[in-house]
Amino acid sequence: MTKKLLFGLITITLVALVAVPLCSSSCVPAPAPAKDSIVIGASRPLSGMNAMIGDAAFGPIMTMWEEEVNAAGGIYVADYGKKLPIEYLIYDDATDVGTMVRLTEKLILEDKVDILFSSCGTAFISAQAPIANKYGYVLLTAEGGATIMRDALYGLPYVFISLPFSDHYQLPVFADMLAAKGAKTAYIVSIADLHGVEYSGVAAIEFARVGIDLIASVSVPETQEDFSIIIKDAKAANPDVFCVFGYPPQVLPCTAESMALGFNPKCFIAGPGANFGFYQFTFIEALGPNCVDGVLCFAAANRATSPEFAELYDDLEAIVSPAMLDWWGHPYYAPLVQIWQEAIEETGTLDQDILRDYIATHHFDTILGDTYFEMSGEGGGGLLVKETHPGEIGQWQNGVVEIVGGGPWSNTVITADFIYPKPPWPTP
Amino acid sequence: MDITALTSRRFLVPGLITLTVLATLPLYGSLYTVILITTILMYIILAVSWVIFSGPTGYMSLASAAFFGVGIYTAAVLMPNTGQLLPLPVVVAIAGLISGLLAVLVGALTLRLRGIYFAIFTFGLVEIIKQVLLYWEFEVTHTRGRFVVLVDNDTVFYIMLGIFVALMLTVYFIRRSKFGLALQSIGENEEAAAHTGINVTMVKVITFGISAIFMGAAGAIMATRWTYIDPYIAFNPLFSFMPVLMAIFGGMGQLYGPVIGAAIFAYLQETLQTTFPYYYMLIFGIVLVVAILYLPNGIVGLIQKLIQRWRKGGSAEQNANT
Repeated sequence: MTKKLLFGLITITLVALVAVPLCSSSCVPAPAPAKDSIVIGASRPLSGMNAMIGDAAFGPIMTMWEEEVNAAGGIYVADYGKKLPIEYLIYDDATDVGTMVRLTEKLILEDKVDILFSSCGTAFISAQAPIANKYGYVLLTAEGGATIMRDALYGLPYVFISLPFSDHYQLPVFADMLAAKGAKTAYIVSIADLHGVEYSGVAAIEFARVGIDLIASVSVPETQEDFSIIIKDAKAANPDVFCVFGYPPQVLPCTAESMALGFNPKCFIAGPGANFGFYQFTFIEALGPNCVDGVLCFAAANRATSPEFAELYDDLEAIVSPAMLDWWGHPYYAPLVQIWQEAIEETGTLDQDILRDYIATHHFDTILGDTYFEMSGEGGGGLLVKETHPGEIGQWQNGVVEIVGGGPWSNTVITADFIYPKPPWPTP
Repeated sequence: MDITALTSRRFLVPGLITLTVLATLPLYGSLYTVILITTILMYIILAVSWVIFSGPTGYMSLASAAFFGVGIYTAAVLMPNTGQLLPLPVVVAIAGLISGLLAVLVGALTLRLRGIYFAIFTFGLVEIIKQVLLYWEFEVTHTRGRFVVLVDNDTVFYIMLGIFVALMLTVYFIRRSKFGLALQSIGENEEAAAHTGINVTMVKVITFGISAIFMGAAGAIMATRWTYIDPYIAFNPLFSFMPVLMAIFGGMGQLYGPVIGAAIFAYLQETLQTTFPYYYMLIFGIVLVVAILYLPNGIVGLIQKLIQRWRKGGSAEQNANT
């Protein structure tokens, strides 16, 4: 009897699992509702390898913006003659590119969202950009950027890249900083993926330009866990500059091994990883708040950059732990939502073509100051101009990330002097 | 495995109807339906291709992701967004052939391995190819990621459907042929099969190759949907496990088992993922555990049981009436 019951139960459950969503999506034709919100769609990594980055980077900015806009009653859209609150429709791509592509098309074709937000990770936005562009959806990208994407922009008029990357304009600034201090030799460890190859390649070019010898450039697979051999080799080579171009799973053990083996080069740069609050939090318990002082990272702004940035970080800290603060990304993700808001309010529409042209041709007054995109030729996409960057290189000093390097343009705000050589690692 | 089930004509009519419905889908289905069905077809192709070899022989292959990935990568190399080198159908055919050749080569080397050894080796193949490609791309050609030309959704759908039809016909003819019988006998008792004069290794290697052709072809056409390809994306181990799960879920006793399994599985994944973004993995896991515990013969087993019960019920009623 129990067996029979169970059997029937399984059958019914299976049928229901298939039939219910099928019915809800196709049996009942959705009536065209009166517009009462701006629906923003996004395929984000709620699970999988990138979940931690997504939750710390663009995620908190999205949450903050939603609260802020909706508390004010929404964004005024002239086409509808009223303020519309924003509403997120977020799917989990489980850190899988194929899933992300399919969900992006679902958001565009089936859910017909008003606005599309960026996916997370360079490979992800590389795949999402042509899709958004194909359907004429404006895509302001968040977590990611690469030279290969900049080259592709010529055919992607709806795509705008916000985050600075290797030669735009982090490593040229970094190389000049090192040259000014008289660094002579460098050792690079990089992860064997797009990010690592790009940064180690650009660094080699920039180091050669300023006369720094590259002693070694070691590429490691993403599965590498033990870095002691590499750190020992680096210690024996005794370079002035040590670079880790990887993610937190490479950056954190490289730092820990360097501390353990007493490898203290004059300059230690690691990223992405050292630009997050959790970099310090990993060692803070054993070594105190100054545990990673002297380490360099890719960073744009901190609380001292301007009162607006101080407010941004205070607001972020109210909703996420300080370990989630990001000194590289947050200064660029916050302006994204400001750009969207201004573009919608000024054009008074949610029409993607009009919004695209507005974003392509206007200067925006954001937290970064004068903010605008350089367009890649006729009918190409946009790249946030380097003159918008308030900084490129940060350094941990007295337990906070100070901005120690930036390009030679007026927007740059240096918050502290670059300390070279770095102080020794603290001892427990 | 029941070979006769397929030879019967009762599948001809429903098969043709399904095919007609599918072939005319872009005419009445929404754009997204076409995309969703394309993905489902992809999973069906992977699951059925896996069953072609692993079903009758009992050799557990985890190389699906390797053959699928080789197809993806072939398309990425031959159809960069900077200029397509060859027409799409040719690329799909080449991708299938390369995957097939790789399978024959690997099969000839390894099909003497049995059981767990073969499974581990085939899974290792996915990693080997990924790492070799990474090395090649980064150290030799200095390329990082490749953009693939965009192809319109209907074209992708029709090519996928074409691969699916070709696959089903191939399976049909294999099962009806002497070759299929040989394959079956290998699964039942390999030594006995060898003693009856079957060239066991040859049959296994050829079947392995055939199954890989379709995986490679499906990979090539999927590359145009994903638009950006790097070795990590192309050689995703998930595509080694999904076909196995789908085939078990659907039931391997019948040809339509993996088809139904893959279709339901892919559809469930899609709806759960979008309806319950935070819980779908949990629900998915429960469905899978329940299916494996209580449906040893998969969905097909369940359907057959239901039909049997219904017939029994019907005849019992008749007896009562007389």
